[in-house]
Amino acid sequence: MSRLDKKSPSLCTDRPLDNTDISNKLNLLRQLLKSCFGPTARLKQVHNNIGGHVVTTSSSSVLLPVISSSQPFINLIKASILNHVSRFSDCGLFAAIFCLALIEQAKRSGLRGNVSIRVNKHLLALCSGYLQGEDCGCKVKLDFCSSHNLITLARSIVSSKPACVLTEQETLHISKLAVQAFLLTVPCSSSGTVSLGKIVTVSVEGYSVLTSVVFPGLLVDMPDGLCLTKFDYLSNPIRMVLFSTSLAGDLSDLGDGMIEVHAGVDTESQILDQLLELGKQVVDDEVKLFVCQKVVHPVLQQYLRSHGIIVVERVGITIMEPLTQLTDAQPVATLHTKIPSKAYGKVRELSMKQFGSKTMLHLQPLGESVICTLLLCHRNETMLSELKVVCQKTEHVLRLTLREPSALLGGGCTETHLAAYVRHKSKNEAPEAASVLGCSQTEYLLGVEVFCRSLEFVAKALQHDGGNSLIDLTHAHHWTLPADVLEEHMEDSLGFCGCGLVESSPSRKWTFLDTKYTEFLPLALVGDSRVQPRVLDSFTAKLSALQVATETANLALDVRYIIQDVN
Amino acid sequence: MCSFFCPFMSHGSVVGVLEAVILRSFGPEGGQVLFTRDTGQAMLSRSGTHILRALHLEHPLARMVVECVWKHSTVTGDGSKTFILLLASLLRKIHTTASREPHVSHSYNSLEAAEAATARHLADKLLAFALKELDDLIAMEVAPHGRCVSWEDFTAEMHSPANHYVQKLLASFFHMRLGYVHCAFISELTCELLNHWKCIDNLPYFALQFLKDNFPAIHTPVSGFPITSSRLIEGQVIHRDFATPYPQTDHQPIKAVVFTGYLQPRLLNTGDVLEVGCGGTEERSIVDFSAWTERSLQCLIANLQSLGVSVLLSVVKQSAAVLALATQAEMCFVDCVSEDELSLFAQLSGATPISDCWRIEPEHIAELTFCRPILLGPHRYENMPFFSLTCKATHLHAKNYLGTIHTSHLQTLVADVFIIRVKVKPYSLIICGSGEGQTDQYACAFQDAIRMLFTTWEPIPATGTTAAKRTVQSDKRTSSYTHVLTDSSTCTSSNLNPLHKCVLQPGCIMPAGGTFEFLLHHALLKLSHSCSASNDTNIGVPVSRLLASALLSVPKQIYSHSPGQFLQTRTRHNAIFTQDMGLESVSCKYELLLAVLQCVTSLLRVDTILRTHTALHTQSLADTSWESTEDEAEN
Repeated sequence: MSRLDKKSPSLCTDRPLDNTDISNKLNLLRQLLKSCFGPTARLKQVHNNIGGHVVTTSSSSVLLPVISSSQPFINLIKASILNHVSRFSDCGLFAAIFCLALIEQAKRSGLRGNVSIRVNKHLLALCSGYLQGEDCGCKVKLDFCSSHNLITLARSIVSSKPACVLTEQETLHISKLAVQAFLLTVPCSSSGTVSLGKIVTVSVEGYSVLTSVVFPGLLVDMPDGLCLTKFDYLSNPIRMVLFSTSLAGDLSDLGDGMIEVHAGVDTESQILDQLLELGKQVVDDEVKLFVCQKVVHPVLQQYLRSHGIIVVERVGITIMEPLTQLTDAQPVATLHTKIPSKAYGKVRELSMKQFGSKTMLHLQPLGESVICTLLLCHRNETMLSELKVVCQKTEHVLRLTLREPSALLGGGCTETHLAAYVRHKSKNEAPEAASVLGCSQTEYLLGVEVFCRSLEFVAKALQHDGGNSLIDLTHAHHWTLPADVLEEHMEDSLGFCGCGLVESSPSRKWTFLDTKYTEFLPLALVGDSRVQPRVLDSFTAKLSALQVATETANLALDVRYIIQDVN
Repeated sequence: MCSFFCPFMSHGSVVGVLEAVILRSFGPEGGQVLFTRDTGQAMLSRSGTHILRALHLEHPLARMVVECVWKHSTVTGDGSKTFILLLASLLRKIHTTASREPHVSHSYNSLEAAEAATARHLADKLLAFALKELDDLIAMEVAPHGRCVSWEDFTAEMHSPANHYVQKLLASFFHMRLGYVHCAFISELTCELLNHWKCIDNLPYFALQFLKDNFPAIHTPVSGFPITSSRLIEGQVIHRDFATPYPQTDHQPIKAVVFTGYLQPRLLNTGDVLEVGCGGTEERSIVDFSAWTERSLQCLIANLQSLGVSVLLSVVKQSAAVLALATQAEMCFVDCVSEDELSLFAQLSGATPISDCWRIEPEHIAELTFCRPILLGPHRYENMPFFSLTCKATHLHAKNYLGTIHTSHLQTLVADVFIIRVKVKPYSLIICGSGEGQTDQYACAFQDAIRMLFTTWEPIPATGTTAAKRTVQSDKRTSSYTHVLTDSSTCTSSNLNPLHKCVLQPGCIMPAGGTFEFLLHHALLKLSHSCSASNDTNIGVPVSRLLASALLSVPKQIYSHSPGQFLQTRTRHNAIFTQDMGLESVSCKYELLLAVLQCVTSLLRVDTILRTHTALHTQSLADTSWESTEDEAEN
């Protein structure tokens, strides 16, 4: 019988945004996430109360799931951001900080909830329209003829995760590997729908990051270390068979009934005979590589090995799909029928690779294949796990560029540029917009200020060392002034803007980000293709992050009552 | 923060507390309510029913009210917040009336008891009056100020004025349910969905019924995307990944079959005993049995291959051998498909699922125009069914059937089966939101919007035009009220011309923002004047006047932020048909009024609450006895 308990009545909170407890928690969350943002972020160590393993991270996809709050309001925001991260892999912290800043600023402005929601929605549409438009001043077209911009994009992602603890050289190495692996998964001959391949990541601890490498084909673990150093005797191509069922001698698909075995009947040996029969066929068909998803009976293994066949067992379900793609084999799951010849797969070359304690069999495809293995090395486990997360994200972001070959300027320049654009645009159209949105012009302009300040807040969040954030008054890019520099020497110490596209010159004018400046139309940089941006952000991910953050903030502003089930 | 606990309150205060919660999300200025389930899952809602049910109230009367609201909204999909407002205001009016003039004709031992009796009496009369007169009154006095949009007009063309009205109606509904920001986008999407499914049959509202019943299989929630990514896609989405690699074949049409059981024969069912090596005439080993199942499976696959079948769908998880053999035969397999989806698939394709693998007839084979994986999001996650590749199916063209007929010998049979086929191009709805809570909220709102439209266009039964008959048809709750109808003290319909009895047309819509309430208020007052003038009733305040004043509480709340607008709208009630405030359905309002009055009656009929003390483990028993008191009170 199930446990019966009296249901206790729910806990209610009226007007959650006015609640001090919730405000404090929101503030804390904003401070926490803000300090994790960007390449100079402060790291966070996560450990549980029972002495489990310590994780060092600054990445939202690792950090957010471990932040648990009893407050559903916090969890609502957290869940939205996490969903975004799981779909787009990037810009999670941007979305979180922007969303929390919007909530905070809207509350502080004293605008009616419904008005700020409408204005936010309106400005979001303005921003997405601008970003998707042709004349957008903070967008860069990605050129697939050169890998330069792709590597820049990858490097921006890798360098934004300081928990990987990489040197400049290592960062570049990993970014290049990520782009190389990504390019290997894109098929060369494209006819009709293109299906991308897969990067299988293998991590090895204790080696320098620079020993990380990409292999075309697959590396499969050989735990028992049956070291055949010479494969020269193998004819080319090598025939292989792939089993998706257990070959341990169990018959699992008989049903739920009972089996009564009379004395004197040796069922096991009967099944083993059957397995050996199968082995005989494999030997006769000149198969040289025998791979099984599950366990292979030791006697069968012995038999196959004695005939010079390499046996790999327990490869697991995750590797099955890349294996079939690589070898063209069809998984076999029948024990009693002859294996059809088309079920066999082919491999061009086999070799053994040794990395530390790991012995792996390297399978190379016969023709062109979209499967590759990324072998990642790092000095210790924590950094390695963060590096693995970063590489997976980079792969995902690079894939997103195939649909939309653009990137946005990084380093806070997109945010400041967008804020300047929104200010300029909404100033000009205030009367019409206000009447459409059903609010007064003052309310509308206040809403615009809330939105723009929140965008600038994100740009400022990149700065952790007490420096000042500036904006130039022509292109509206983001500049950082170190804390120890006096204002007189500003031009000399500024160097380049956040994304590296604009250089400091005496004719430029700057203003601090939190001061009011007269609105102007930010100019796009034209011509001069020699200057390449140094920091790029994913276009698709950032656009979606902007939308998700605004929608989440709007939801949060719309919540008037909280009912908590405390059962 | 406040903890919700009310040991014993009178009706008014119980409902008052509910009203206070509901008001936060009522009207154009209302907001969302966030609530967590006992599983920790967070949900957002502006739906009155969801909010009330999330409260987990303890007070028996409150629970009864919540139950009534829930029953009402599962039928009409709308009006749960107005329900509470009207209920609270009606109870207040009844109490004030009763306390002013307690029942004098009987002797009661206390003033309170006398008041309660009067209140009960008033409630009964109100209900009787509503059941008898209200539909005529609405049809005569209120409906003429609205518009009647026929379902045929709506389905006729995309940009007709009727379409515009329906979209406005939906926009108002979504505004109240989800908020202003996305109401235009979502109502457009709903209209598009209705337009795609509209010609499902000749019956006007059959499409709505179909959508209402199959909504779970038609929509796909996808979280992590902005709401504006929601869209319609052609075909049916099966929310499962292919279990075998998907072969890219382009030959048309694709033939598919549905299996309900295991393809590989299950040799032993639970309870069976297989004796191995019993020393009979033939030496049989267990290997022979397993070889036999494999052989029979091969025959089955070969049979399917000869029939040209390339897509297999199954309810249950199939064994590895089945998947491997299907792959070798270049068929793709989707297993663990939910029953809902397969039932929709069967309805759309006209193919019956196969239960006996050895008898595959042409009527089991569905023909699809395409079947392809769809990536709803950039990643393919293994544990998230909506991310898995999904296969879309199916629109059967008549000419495709001919293809099957030629290859089979069952020409007449096949023709019979398919002649009643619906000709519709199926479309699935992809609902995007930033989190699971939001997609759930949108999905609920969609479903309720369809219910609301269904109530609006529900045809009147040919025989019954009176309120009693209509409501009996739509809901069982009125069945036992007929005895009240004999009550003579209400105004008779003498002032309504019996020869010109108006009938409330389906599809009647009204400007929103309290117009219905204002109009009905005036109509009721007019009626009470003529009543008091013509006949000498034995009660001081006619029930119609009571109802009329209670109705005003709704517009009062709508305009709570600007009393000036309240007066303005009140005086303007007779003006032309405007759409500035949105539109709402008259039949939903009518159903709502009846439901509220029934709830009032059942609330007031309870005179004592007995609190029994039982040990915790018999809680379920106590709950059931609860239900019965509730039912008693209602029936």
